[in-house]
Amino acid sequence: MNDHTVSPPSVGPTVGPVGDQPSGFEPKIVAFVCNWCTYLGADLAGTTRLEYPPNVRIIRLPCTGRIDFNLIIKAFEIGADSVLVSGCHPGDCHYTSGNYHARRRWILFRELLQTLGFDLERIHFTWISAAEGHKWQQTVKEITEKTRKLGPYKYLCSGDAASRSGDFTSPSSVGLTAELSNSETPSSSQRGSAPLTCGKPPAFRAAPDPSSSSAQAERLSLSPRAEETVQGVRPAESRSLSASQAAEPQVQALREACRRLLAEGSVKVVIGYGKRGPVFVTRPEDVEQLVWNDHCLANLTVYLKRKEIRALGRPAIVVKGCDERALVVLEKESQIDRKEMHVLGMACPGMGEAKCETCEVHLPRFADEVIGESGQHAAESGERWKSLEALLALPPAERMAYWASEFDRCVKCYACRQVCPMCYCERCLVEKNRPTVIEPSATAKGNLAWHIMRAFHLAGRCVGCDECTRACPAGIDLRLLNLSLAKAEEEHFAYRAGMDPKAELLVGAYSLQDKENFIR
Amino acid sequence: MSATISQAALRGLVAEWISQGKRVAGPRLVSSEVGAVRPSTLLRAVSASRTGEPPLLYAPLESSDQLTLEGFIRPANSIKEFIFPKHQELYGYRITGKGIELSAVEPPAREQVLIAARPCDAASLPILDHVFNWDYKDELYNLRRQLTTVVTLACAAHDDACFCTSVGLGPAAERGSDALLLELGEGEYEVRCLTEKGKALFDGKLQSSERVASVSAGPEKRFEAEAVGAFVKEHFDSAFWPAQTLACLGCGACAYTCPTCHCFDIVDEGNIERGVRARNWDSCQFAMFTLHASGHNPRPNQPARQRQRIDHKFHIYPEKFGEILCTGCGNCARNCPAGMGVLGVLTAL
Repeated sequence: MNDHTVSPPSVGPTVGPVGDQPSGFEPKIVAFVCNWCTYLGADLAGTTRLEYPPNVRIIRLPCTGRIDFNLIIKAFEIGADSVLVSGCHPGDCHYTSGNYHARRRWILFRELLQTLGFDLERIHFTWISAAEGHKWQQTVKEITEKTRKLGPYKYLCSGDAASRSGDFTSPSSVGLTAELSNSETPSSSQRGSAPLTCGKPPAFRAAPDPSSSSAQAERLSLSPRAEETVQGVRPAESRSLSASQAAEPQVQALREACRRLLAEGSVKVVIGYGKRGPVFVTRPEDVEQLVWNDHCLANLTVYLKRKEIRALGRPAIVVKGCDERALVVLEKESQIDRKEMHVLGMACPGMGEAKCETCEVHLPRFADEVIGESGQHAAESGERWKSLEALLALPPAERMAYWASEFDRCVKCYACRQVCPMCYCERCLVEKNRPTVIEPSATAKGNLAWHIMRAFHLAGRCVGCDECTRACPAGIDLRLLNLSLAKAEEEHFAYRAGMDPKAELLVGAYSLQDKENFIR
Repeated sequence: MSATISQAALRGLVAEWISQGKRVAGPRLVSSEVGAVRPSTLLRAVSASRTGEPPLLYAPLESSDQLTLEGFIRPANSIKEFIFPKHQELYGYRITGKGIELSAVEPPAREQVLIAARPCDAASLPILDHVFNWDYKDELYNLRRQLTTVVTLACAAHDDACFCTSVGLGPAAERGSDALLLELGEGEYEVRCLTEKGKALFDGKLQSSERVASVSAGPEKRFEAEAVGAFVKEHFDSAFWPAQTLACLGCGACAYTCPTCHCFDIVDEGNIERGVRARNWDSCQFAMFTLHASGHNPRPNQPARQRQRIDHKFHIYPEKFGEILCTGCGNCARNCPAGMGVLGVLTAL
């Protein structure tokens, strides 16, 4: 190892300013390379005196399998114009399979970035071996030239859309200058008062929308009559659900089953739905608390991991077919022992949610007992991506503007994380500050990084219960991010999380046959 | 005799304030629209889904027609974020050789009008004044407070989560408001100017009328606030807490949408050479909130954190500042993904 050549020698810029870019623009390219192949390839280029532009900053890691996606985001955050990730050719990995793992992850990650409106022209993946000094030279030349043509990357449109957060940041700000002056600091130029400068600034929908404001009124039970009939905190709504007829015998059967289980002592607690929300029934005489109606939206499997619930003893858990998928993944990830619980599956005609329109699991498949029967048929699966496709039809800059405007409302209450059955880490990455990977502030930068991380840590794991979206007090449509990964999983790997208990986990495994068309 | 204004004239006033360069914020259906499509509206066209509906929030108004004046109980957030933002930079730092340079980063503040705030929002401001002017006078808070005029819209309806009458407020409570609007019907509002700021805002814009608005009774009283404080004081280790709070998942939705919750965390963001010190909202429901550097956590589980929240609102705060830290808005219940909120706990108590 020639450690003294950490920065491969280069002989100055070989390409001048191109096109209408401001003269003097020098692209900043961050290259994450593996120690054994690409780094040595770059080293070879240096020792053989191959000239290439000095715009690339090399960061050497043990293996592409260890290159965290957060690093790519971090590079853009701190001003990279392009990013290159490069490692050993398939079959050459010094750890046998690191690059196969990386390949599978990148296939998914690129799809997420695409949904978010990242410019994929600025994210490059290559395989470069220790013998390919020329390929390194060529790659860096090409990327530098391409980036120079594209111009500086306006990550997040280079402005903070934090106009709503009560920061008095509007450029039209007048009068009343306080003691505090608006001096230029590095951060104020990054997240300063500039309005969105790239793409079309997102327009907010104005109030007059009869359909939604009447829906709003109805939801909030404005009419006195609705008020009287409302039970529980979340007001009831009349929706045409076949559940209402079938629900009564079904809830009796549920209560009966729970009474039996608790009385015989085989379970100590029933995790079920109550009038206001989840209830935890420990005595047979309390089973009347259990309900079954179209407000039973929560995915109760999230409680299986909670210490306070575990302390109560062996649980019986009420699941819908969609929730049950979470059990499959949790068991696969060794988080629960399926034998240590009793699963009460509810036949579900649909709760009127978007996910129910395309539901294929109205009847739980792996429950210890299934209560009720479902007459519903599986929907056309093509409909599932409809909302996502509408977003993907937009140009990348508009997609990013859309997300910037959505994430602007994020207050980082982490309800999306807390309701997620798959988010079971004892300490979330966002709570670690040595080093700070995700900035804890609810700023444009901190929010985007957080939502990328949340979505991608669910790659191959999200079961599509949409709890994150339901929980969000700011109404951010987080399911679009989950959908984009679900679509990629299905299209590239014919995989659906939690559908098949025999299937291997998607991320954490690999196949020599994984296909992509973007790694050069 | 009363002073009145029509809805059209009120919108006209809002437009005028905006054109004067004031920041005007009020209830608004907020959703991002990109191109001609809002992705989730497409989804909603084929479903009756509740999830993903555009939320009604207090948000800055770019035009007066964005202001929503009818058909809602209250927005999902609170007005506190216009006085005490979710993220506020305190100062910038730059390390130069051996010295450290500090620089102010707060942009110049400007006047703002919060229009159609609910009485339960307006009342939160005088309550918060105590804590921001106690041992330390918080300049950033006070500056924004001074520059803010609150125009409250009295409630004509309430839902099951509302409990203002249990904490000494009501559908037309005047506390914290500079002016109060009451619906007269047919697009007319009675205006009661309560402070000089309120008078200045509506000066010469009102008509006099014989009509006087009737005030709705509001939600039925659900509990005695003093009794709650007394209970919490006596029942620190009670089994009541674990039993009542099992469903709590430990997110900050209740605290962040509460008009009175005001805890914050201070962070440095930047690198070894330069950056900013900022304060961010924080919530007592997070496990990290009370975690000590030693690893000890005095609030080790969710029941203890829920108790802390009630304790602070109904016992600690009144003991220190003479009034409870709750305005009965019910946001904690409406926004709770597990259907909880303080009301559920308090009525059970």
